[in-house]
Amino acid sequence: MTDLLEIEGLVKHYDARRGIIGKLTGNPGLLVQAVNGVNLKIKQGSTLGLIGESGCGKSTLGRAILRLHEPTKGKVSFDGTDITTLDADAMKIMRQKMQIIFQDPYASLNPRKTVREIIGQPLKIHKQATGSELDDRVADLMKKVGLNTNQMNRYPHQFSGGQRQRIGIARALILNPKFVVCDEPVSALDVSIQAQIIELLANLKQELGLTYLFISHDISVIGYVSERIAVMYLGKIVEEGDTETILNSPQHPYTQALLSSVPRVTKSDTGKERIRLTGDLPSAVDLPNGCKFHTRCSHAMDKCRTIEPTFQVTEGTHFVSCHLVEEQT
Amino acid sequence: MNKPVLEIENLKTCFDTRDGMVTAVDGVSLKVNQGECLGIVGESGSGKSVTFASVMGLVKKPGFIAEGEIRFEGRNLVGLDANEYRNLRGKEIAMTMQDALTALNPAYTVSDQIIEALLEHDETLTGSKRQKFRQARDKAVEMMDLVGIPAAKSRLDDYPHQFSGGMRQRIMIAIALACRPTLLIADEPTTALDVTIQAQVLELIADIQDKLGMSVVLITHDLGVVAEFCDRVIVMYAGQVVESGPTREVIDNPQHPYTQGLLNSIPRLSDLKHRIEPIMGTVPDLIQLSPQCRFLGRCTQSTEACSSSVDMREIGEGRGVRCTLVSPAGEAE
Repeated sequence: MTDLLEIEGLVKHYDARRGIIGKLTGNPGLLVQAVNGVNLKIKQGSTLGLIGESGCGKSTLGRAILRLHEPTKGKVSFDGTDITTLDADAMKIMRQKMQIIFQDPYASLNPRKTVREIIGQPLKIHKQATGSELDDRVADLMKKVGLNTNQMNRYPHQFSGGQRQRIGIARALILNPKFVVCDEPVSALDVSIQAQIIELLANLKQELGLTYLFISHDISVIGYVSERIAVMYLGKIVEEGDTETILNSPQHPYTQALLSSVPRVTKSDTGKERIRLTGDLPSAVDLPNGCKFHTRCSHAMDKCRTIEPTFQVTEGTHFVSCHLVEEQT
Repeated sequence: MNKPVLEIENLKTCFDTRDGMVTAVDGVSLKVNQGECLGIVGESGSGKSVTFASVMGLVKKPGFIAEGEIRFEGRNLVGLDANEYRNLRGKEIAMTMQDALTALNPAYTVSDQIIEALLEHDETLTGSKRQKFRQARDKAVEMMDLVGIPAAKSRLDDYPHQFSGGMRQRIMIAIALACRPTLLIADEPTTALDVTIQAQVLELIADIQDKLGMSVVLITHDLGVVAEFCDRVIVMYAGQVVESGPTREVIDNPQHPYTQGLLNSIPRLSDLKHRIEPIMGTVPDLIQLSPQCRFLGRCTQSTEACSSSVDMREIGEGRGVRCTLVSPAGEAE
């Protein structure tokens, strides 16, 4: 399988200098380094799960890939085209193939538009259909995502959270995209509804041959939907590998801590000694030197405080960015 | 050790809304024993938060308690007046709210907010007003140390926005625990937090529970949290208790189709091949409830008997299920 998406050295910094005076005086330093050099490849037809705590830059990465937030540096190749150099018109055409599903099904739908208008909007913008053809396509997709087509003229507030998320999914899929960024699509939903949406996304992927970047902070959801997992910490990928490798033999101390923090339901999982992480995520404005994780890592050595580890391949397609792993190999 | 601290009997809390009467809590009975941790599991709208808002006397108009009794250490709380409640809340029963940022007052420093509870309730403070304040301030530092806020002394006069989400949740716990309550009600204490921080906060609550010997009610939607931290669990659905019992028994051998459905909805890390089975449909509207089983529309195992009202059935020591599929203990199938 070929790589549908290739990201090289992607950087996204936000200028946090306050007000016009701050900008004029050009006082540097206050840069929020949300994404700090990310390399990723996503194979055609697969799902890459991106996991990390809030504030690690995973949503920013998802948006920078689609150029919803303009990347500061780096290259994003989609289907062989470098989309970071495209002008607005070319990008608009490209967007038909790359879509996003948002986290909050309440905030991401316009409350003043009906479901027909919301789902049909992309068709209008890209001048693909009008009139009854548009209605047909909207109805067709509503059926696919499990919505009742006679609810087409209702407004978002008349739907439950799970149904709204289905509307958001339909809107993302109406243009027949190849690639969809799912930005925490189930985090705002109840457990039983969450399972419905996960299954729906999995079925749609099969049926329509989609490729997903699935962003979540919930490792059990990520483990369930993804073929590969990338673990993000403070703007960088610290570990990447096949789902089973990451879940069964994580190498990076952060991945290990993340996995052991998850409360488990099944008996065989409970009772294991928990790796405790102390403290919080450092601020993305003032990043630690060396390894970004050394302030919370129980294995931190002198080296970790000064030298930033590089990505190492442990076996085949398993990448880890940690000095401990370097020493072993 | 098995003395109940809190007993709720047949509690019914309603909200008189423009669209009709919403029965958010419908006949909930439960008890919390001394020193135990009781988990309350349910989805949004299941009535788990309203049940304990009723206990705390926090149900405001248009809501009201229509029926039932809430006994705390033998004393009925329903109908207590504002002053009596004031003496109880924060002192003997404390509650932490889900969203620490909105629950803390942004205009006061965290020390103000901890000291307020102490000055109001703590009878061990002695001397003049000034001396009491001094002692309360020392105690506030002690509490912040207890909940694991680093450099507590220097952070005492910071405002809530200067703390991270996990630290704010700890401050709420510090306020709740300041007067050493007999019962702590923690409403979704970790829902807004990342897993690594969640583990820290839950272990903290368990730790303090051991140290102070208090009882804890943990309201959550996360069965994993319950499995790891609670002694007993109560599963709620559409305002009713549908299953209750010791945590391991309920999780290893769920009897109610809803509990089974919930457990099957969670992806398992240890078994990636295990396919999840979502519960179809959504929670019923709480306004027009017919007497039938509330899970009927979503249940895959329903029979004719389910269309009449279903009572809680005792199926063992402290184990109850509200389902026609199980037969009560002692009765033959």
